[in-house]
Amino acid sequence: MRKLMYSCEQASKLSSRAMEEPLGRLDRSLLRLHLMMCRGCRNFSRQIAFLRRASRKVPEVLEKDED
Amino acid sequence: MTPRNSVDGREHGTVGGNEESARTLESHRKYLMRYALFHLRESSLAEDAVQDTLIAALAQHDAFEGRSQLRTWLTSILKHKIIDLVRKRGRGLPVDVLQLGEEDGPAGNSFNASGRWVDPPADWGLPDAAFESKQFWRVYQKCCQRMPERHALVFSMREVMDLSTEEICKKLQISKSNLHVILYRARLSLRSCMTENWFAGDHA
Repeated sequence: MRKLMYSCEQASKLSSRAMEEPLGRLDRSLLRLHLMMCRGCRNFSRQIAFLRRASRKVPEVLEKDED
Repeated sequence: MTPRNSVDGREHGTVGGNEESARTLESHRKYLMRYALFHLRESSLAEDAVQDTLIAALAQHDAFEGRSQLRTWLTSILKHKIIDLVRKRGRGLPVDVLQLGEEDGPAGNSFNASGRWVDPPADWGLPDAAFESKQFWRVYQKCCQRMPERHALVFSMREVMDLSTEEICKKLQISKSNLHVILYRARLSLRSCMTENWFAGDHA
């Protein structure tokens, strides 16, 4: 039987994949369960979303860098 | 219809007009150079990419003249030049991504043997305020450059250039799961570097 609790490593991997494509129903539920109980992974998941926001701003920042 | 008295031939071909467009072009060139440097790291490579871009743009002279969003258009040509360059030099092509090892950057040992965080990510507070800080962007760029080069390129194709995962897989001829692995490693590495060099300080 598949282990029902994800490790932080699995959970963070899934958080990253979820930014690229919708997860299957089981993965989604197990990830949510893990995130409810794990502050580190919650922070990770927020942080990678922040890093995406930052990255998407790079062209704009390079634009403002005008000399 | 509307009168066409604006087509009087004076806007094109006057000396003033040429100087104007030379200046505009120069400012675009500088921007393209910063953009290329961000992705390529080496200034000689970046110069090649920008030069190729301008040559390609000038070859489509008609399109070039009529563009209102000239910079956007040039940037989209540059993106492809950057990817081509990296591919041609045989770097950045993650042939062996499945053998990502512990040596692959600072993210290699984020977890212990049972898959728990060695150093669980701490709260970054309200990080978006940092967008206003020039120093933040310097740290961010440094951290991107600390990743292995092929990871950095894949990451910035996805996150900075905003290309779709399908497009990246096709361009680099890698599988979707390879791409996910690379993006994941890149994110681990970048967040750990940003924690160390920005958020752990007095900034957050």
